[in-house]
Amino acid sequence: MKLRLARRLFGAYGVLFLVFVYAPIVMIVAFSFNSNPINMMVWSGFTFDWYWTILGYPTELNEDTLYVESTDQLLAAVKNSLIVAAFTTTISTVLGTMTALALFRYRFRAQRFYQGLLYMPMVMPDIVLGIALLVFFVSIGMSLGLYSIIIGHCTFLISYVFVVVSARLAGMDNTLEEASADLGANEWVTFRRVTLPHIAPGVVGGALLAFIISMDDLVITYFIAGVDSTTLPLFIYGMLRRGVKPEINAIATLMLLFTFIIASLGLYLRRRS
Amino acid sequence: MAVRRDRVRLTVLLGPVSLFLGICFVGPLVVMIIYSLLEPGLYGGVEWNFYHWSYGRILGWADGEWEDFDWVYAEIFLRSARLAFINVLITLALCYPAALWVRGLPRRWRLFIVFLITLPFFISLVVRLFAWVLILRPTGFLNSSLLGLGLIEEPFDIIFTETAVLIGMAYVLLPFMFLPVYASVEKLDHSLFEASSDLGASSIQTFFRVTVPLTLPGIAAGSVLVFIPSLGNFIVPDLLGGAKVLMIGNLIEQQFLSARNWPFGAVLSVMMMAIMFLLILIYLRRIGRMQTRP
Repeated sequence: MKLRLARRLFGAYGVLFLVFVYAPIVMIVAFSFNSNPINMMVWSGFTFDWYWTILGYPTELNEDTLYVESTDQLLAAVKNSLIVAAFTTTISTVLGTMTALALFRYRFRAQRFYQGLLYMPMVMPDIVLGIALLVFFVSIGMSLGLYSIIIGHCTFLISYVFVVVSARLAGMDNTLEEASADLGANEWVTFRRVTLPHIAPGVVGGALLAFIISMDDLVITYFIAGVDSTTLPLFIYGMLRRGVKPEINAIATLMLLFTFIIASLGLYLRRRS
Repeated sequence: MAVRRDRVRLTVLLGPVSLFLGICFVGPLVVMIIYSLLEPGLYGGVEWNFYHWSYGRILGWADGEWEDFDWVYAEIFLRSARLAFINVLITLALCYPAALWVRGLPRRWRLFIVFLITLPFFISLVVRLFAWVLILRPTGFLNSSLLGLGLIEEPFDIIFTETAVLIGMAYVLLPFMFLPVYASVEKLDHSLFEASSDLGASSIQTFFRVTVPLTLPGIAAGSVLVFIPSLGNFIVPDLLGGAKVLMIGNLIEQQFLSARNWPFGAVLSVMMMAIMFLLILIYLRRIGRMQTRP
């Protein structure tokens, strides 16, 4: 009796917890379809106009208001974000996977040092890493731009890929590789036919994680972005600092959609493997 | 022969990453420490002279002259530490019951709920905070609903207060507490609870004598993972705290982007790094030992 009550209480709490986590997100999505240009909080009908607004099309809502935020800047920011994410994902996936393989396969003296080194960027407060990178780039005379952002993102994303691939390697059965060697495959063939297919979900998962974090990173990018290398999160942050506008809801909703797609892809891959 | 070949392979596998992290991760940290010991340049940047007073400034004196004694930096430091600590308590209080709840769910539900709870971690920080700006601002969701329900007469100020900063930080860092706590709660053996109640312990006694001690490693890990980013946060206080709730993160940002005292900013960053290392060291010492115990 008492147990059932406790269970109910926990259930109710769990639901409240999920509401706390998701209500703000649902709210943004709802507001992005609200056609009230004066007060977001008052629902005055369903509209797609904010989406048209951010894409630069004139709509009924923004004809007589000053809401139009320059679409060119937004698109440039999206482009910058995608370029940065594409490069950082590639570099950090390759390097992170190589490191995971090295630390899993071989025993050597500096092993623990490398483990520590790889965990460090993940626990380092973003602001410290951002400042350190800024000071570093300035002191070696490198100009800030897309290159500096790519380098900056790689310094911590390698660690994320490393962790994901390592977890996958840890669950691997050693006898498979031994069997492959016993059957006469050389090490390269064994790697390509046995090891790589086994860790592939981990590598793809790590890459997705790196991509999504790179697309979303604000703090580190904030310090090492140049004048004309604004990324999407930086662009929204800038907009937000200047004041709350309804079309931010639309941009945020599109970003949410993007995040959900990539995250679901990751979950699907994990389920299948 | 084989050993040498292994060594070559290891070098090939680890060479690029060593080079990259050596130059682009360790390098910047070293440069930052050097900068913290240089004289501030007049218009930003540094003069290449040894200068250690930036460290003194945190405690209130500049240039070794006690007359400029000013507690403001120490105050900001203490406020950040206090808010970060409260945030650890809030996230723990929110996540611990949630973790117990998920543990009691049918197996097929668990993975999905854990996925749902951690999903916001992947949503852009700026989007999540934008939501809270919308909720908390004077004409925002919270005030409009309360006014609409007739619970309050006029909008009350919650944005730009410490409460707003705490709400935002707790929301943003929730997954960092949930995951480690859940990982340790999930491992709890059900027979321990039965044994405890068979021996006559009440459920409250069981909770404090069995559940909490066994999940202490998860609690500790979550606390460290929440404390460190809370301490150095500058986006949350910037958007939800305004100028009133200044934290170390804002102070560091100001030193680089507006005050242009780079060495002082570097000193603050070095301090943050030192606190981080200290916490991790304590964690590894205490919890590492606890886990090796039979």
